[in-house]
Amino acid sequence: MNLSGSRTLDAPREAVFAAICDPATLLAVIPGCRAIERTSETEYRGEIALRLPGIVGTYRTVVRMADADPPGYGRLEGEVVGSLGSIHGHASFRLTDADGRTTVDYDGQAVIGGPLARLDSRFIEGLAGSLIGQGLGNLNTRLQRHPPAGASGDQSPTIKETPA
Amino acid sequence: MTVSSYFLPRSLPEALEILQRHGPDLLVMAGGTVAMPLINEGLSMPGAVMGLRRAGLDRIERTDGALRIGATATLTQLLDQDAIPVLREAARTTGSWAIRNMATVGGNLFTPPPGGDVAVALLALDASVILAGPTGERALPLADFFTGFLTNQLAPDELLVELRVPMTSDPAAWVKFGRKHANTPAVVTVAARLRWSGDKIADARIALGAVGPHPIRARQAEQRLVGTRLGPDAIAAAAAVATEDCEPFTDAIATDWYRRRMVAIFVGRVLEQLAPRAEPEGR
Repeated sequence: MNLSGSRTLDAPREAVFAAICDPATLLAVIPGCRAIERTSETEYRGEIALRLPGIVGTYRTVVRMADADPPGYGRLEGEVVGSLGSIHGHASFRLTDADGRTTVDYDGQAVIGGPLARLDSRFIEGLAGSLIGQGLGNLNTRLQRHPPAGASGDQSPTIKETPA
Repeated sequence: MTVSSYFLPRSLPEALEILQRHGPDLLVMAGGTVAMPLINEGLSMPGAVMGLRRAGLDRIERTDGALRIGATATLTQLLDQDAIPVLREAARTTGSWAIRNMATVGGNLFTPPPGGDVAVALLALDASVILAGPTGERALPLADFFTGFLTNQLAPDELLVELRVPMTSDPAAWVKFGRKHANTPAVVTVAARLRWSGDKIADARIALGAVGPHPIRARQAEQRLVGTRLGPDAIAAAAAVATEDCEPFTDAIATDWYRRRMVAIFVGRVLEQLAPRAEPEGR
């Protein structure tokens, strides 16, 4: 599965990069995210519950920031595992200044295993694109409502909660 | 088969309580025409399932200038109503009799494209969805309900309980184009509704199915029609611009290239159905 896309957010790229590394922000913006935990300087573990037509389930996720050049570049590696199979993949993103706003360009590849792999690729790719779009939309809304003071989320290394 | 619990609530409050108790791991099922094939093929393995067929959400009634359609009313029930003929036509061309006896109007909103034909007609009719949660109900225009492919505004603790369709005398038309005449997924579906002011169009709705991540409005085409008399040139212009409103995909039914071309043709045909007839000579 290949995924790529672009979206412009209404915040400077320092704020966008900090938000991407902040567990509290990730918990709030990732669709279906129920818990997230920062287990090391570069690793996050989380739980995502998705309620889709005909398919429901909880998926454990592990994501590592494999490479980073703040505030312009990051490379993520990770896996998503649930009862319906697994997704292993990596993605890189670039943040480009656009007159005070930030253009996010992302590009990733993933390998799907288990029953999930039997679904039409249109479904998986369409859903992934839809969820990424929804997540970036949520991030944009959050950045406008709660502009970060500056630093990344080092102060809140572990967060476990259920969003309202 | 992994389902260990099946719930059959007898009321909406009971259904909401079960949803609250089991959270997002509970599969909510109405007619089961989407969920059951996935479960039978091992593509969905819910631990718990809640069937809504006995929850009292299947009434269709006219009140307060609107047709209120319970979310679990079947497509066969939709065939029996005569308040909004275009909805009957949309139901008639969806699935087979066996499917229509099971599939629900609410469930049709969650059916991945190229399914979801009835939702296309509902979109053209400016329908609203009523979502019920632990703190009460909220209404949302159907046009705002869909957020992406398989995603929507329904919160994890909410259920879709009703579709509310404004009663109107506006002329409306519907066409579904598939690879065969009946019981077929769509290449494209088109629903249109026009509001006239004298001999000109004051407002227009054109909804498209099977050519996007969910049923979509062809908003540029709608705008192109306003102020026209729906002559051949106006129809051709709206049909052409509708191809820019859609985001067609390729599947076993048709390519994206083909779907885009069929959008132009079938938007044109739907609008021709709604165009004023020329007065016969000598009258």
